[in-house]
Amino acid sequence: MLSTKFTVMTKEDVDRKWWEIGDFFRRNSLWMLMYCTGCCAIELPPAMTSAYDMERLGMGPMATPRQADILLVSGYLSLKTLRRLIYTYEQMSEPKYVVGLGSCTINGGIYHDSHAVINQLNQYIPVDVYVAGCMPNTEAVMNGFVDLMGLIKTKKANGWKDYHERNEWYKANQKFALGEVKIHDEFHE
Amino acid sequence: MTNSMNNVEFISNLVENSYKIVKKEVVDQYQVSFVVEKEDVHSLLSFLKTNGWKQLSYLSAIDWIDDNKFELVYIVFNWDKPVYIQIRTLIDRDNPVMNSILPVFPGCKYYEREAHEFFGIKFPGNPDFEKQLILENWDDMPPLRKDFDPRAYSDSKFAKREYTEDFVNLNGQKSKQKERELQKENIIKVRNGGKK
Repeated sequence: MLSTKFTVMTKEDVDRKWWEIGDFFRRNSLWMLMYCTGCCAIELPPAMTSAYDMERLGMGPMATPRQADILLVSGYLSLKTLRRLIYTYEQMSEPKYVVGLGSCTINGGIYHDSHAVINQLNQYIPVDVYVAGCMPNTEAVMNGFVDLMGLIKTKKANGWKDYHERNEWYKANQKFALGEVKIHDEFHE
Repeated sequence: MTNSMNNVEFISNLVENSYKIVKKEVVDQYQVSFVVEKEDVHSLLSFLKTNGWKQLSYLSAIDWIDDNKFELVYIVFNWDKPVYIQIRTLIDRDNPVMNSILPVFPGCKYYEREAHEFFGIKFPGNPDFEKQLILENWDDMPPLRKDFDPRAYSDSKFAKREYTEDFVNLNGQKSKQKERELQKENIIKVRNGGKK
């Protein structure tokens, strides 16, 4: 009697398979939370609408952090905004990816010597893809999204794992720049 | 009310008859500026309020570091006559204290907090002036003073990205700089109708 040879997969193998299956669906259906902090946000309307049509890549906008996959940081971040951004990032469900638009998130851009604006975003939260330019044109933005899909496919978009592994380092950086991450808001307390 | 210059003359007469004006400047037909003594500000503002300038548009400060003075600017606005009035006054820079105008214009509450936050001017009379408004957990001197160095603060507080090389040529490509310059010249030539 013929029978297929059956080997028992180890738990790691099963997990890896499921992650590959999950990543396949995940990268073809990305929901993006747009945190429009700076002027690069003006590149998003053409990316979303009929000019470049983000939806043909399977991407869509999402209104809440808990249901979004990508956190899109478009532009400079003041200390006040960074506090809210860290809140938002930590609320997102895993796996989560961060895309930084514009030179402000890379090295401070034209605000590199401001008292209120941070210089490098990846000191405070892990960034998977940077799109350079001041501001990047829409082709570059779309290319950044395709790059992110490639990174998910090759299992290199590991920013959220890095946030677990080096959590103390990120927290120390956040504390050094912000003093205290907790938001004290007189209008809501 | 058709001729706006009449409005400026009207308000100039009104103020100059009752108050001692250090300096007057007519910016244009919609703006006039008076520099007054520190003691006159409150009575002048309430006088203007009774005469129709009932909205405080803005209150801010200017740092004249060479004269060792802060200049406070109160801008009031009238809904019937199209004239903005700026009331300016100079206060000491080493001990900057100005009584709050909260009884006259309650809306000054937040402007005074902002001025305290960015210039360190104290406003006794306003119970909240020391509360933070825009900056959160600020730990240095007020940042809009002229002797504050934003670059030094940024260098000490925010990590800078370090570049080991200015330019990396990945696969030994030839420089296209000369071609680009020629192309640019051509474009300018065409744009100017063949002339350089």
